[in-house]
Amino acid sequence: MRELSLHILDIAQNSIAASASIIEIYIDENSIQDRLTIRIADNGRGIPQHQLAQVMDPFFTSRKTRGVGLGLALFAQAAKGAEGELLIDSNVGTGTTVTATFRYSHIDRAPLGDLAGTLLGVIMLNPEVEVVYQHTCLERTLCIDTREIKSELGSIAINHPAVMNWLEGFVREGIDDLYGGE
Amino acid sequence: MKVTELVDKLELEVVAGPFEREISGIYVGDLLSNVMARAQADDVWLTVHGHQNVVAVASLTQVAAVIVVEDFPIEPAAVQKAKEMEVTILRTPMTASDLIRKLFELGL
Repeated sequence: MRELSLHILDIAQNSIAASASIIEIYIDENSIQDRLTIRIADNGRGIPQHQLAQVMDPFFTSRKTRGVGLGLALFAQAAKGAEGELLIDSNVGTGTTVTATFRYSHIDRAPLGDLAGTLLGVIMLNPEVEVVYQHTCLERTLCIDTREIKSELGSIAINHPAVMNWLEGFVREGIDDLYGGE
Repeated sequence: MKVTELVDKLELEVVAGPFEREISGIYVGDLLSNVMARAQADDVWLTVHGHQNVVAVASLTQVAAVIVVEDFPIEPAAVQKAKEMEVTILRTPMTASDLIRKLFELGL
């Protein structure tokens, strides 16, 4: 996938397929340590221990209608190709955490891509799922939690067009600010 | 053109296979998700990757053969999987562009 945001979307879709009610997306851009970390944690049904070793095997997945797809295999390859790695920690009944690391400045590291669009897409299509988005660039952090937004909204749906419109502006501006935007 | 014919004419190294298939086109790309979307069945697919994900994508797209260019290393797991899945993997020291010129000369 051309952009890392597409991998995030893919993993978030796995979480939703695993009946997660909370998805946490962490992005840490540490240009000083030259490390990029992306972590997607959910409280879905989890992956049984005996399948955990197989989920990055593209043949375990692409041939079966169940579960994961080629997504994890490609995400792992993207991380390895940029001097990083992909780790999966999962417990049945508790959830799954996928962590990908990259050398931030590696020439083959894919760009992060449209993170705002990815986040908004996940929220819009899964209004019943709680999404936490935490994005850090050195000393600046953007935190978004749909539970906080929903408590402000009261009975208005979070994917109401007017809310999404506001949220899009909020997220895009928030991400721009991380990079020292005006 | 048949896979074995191509191997002979271009002196390609056979890494897995060859499983005989008719080749009808060429696809070049290293972004696997894009290859999944764009490669056509019966293409020869030129790539620098030697990971087993290549075998998965080749199997999904039903390409006639994979040619790893510039003598890039191919992981043993990929070779093993290719044999199981009957995916032909070939290799050449040529760059993709040099190889494509030769493929054109052969009428592909």
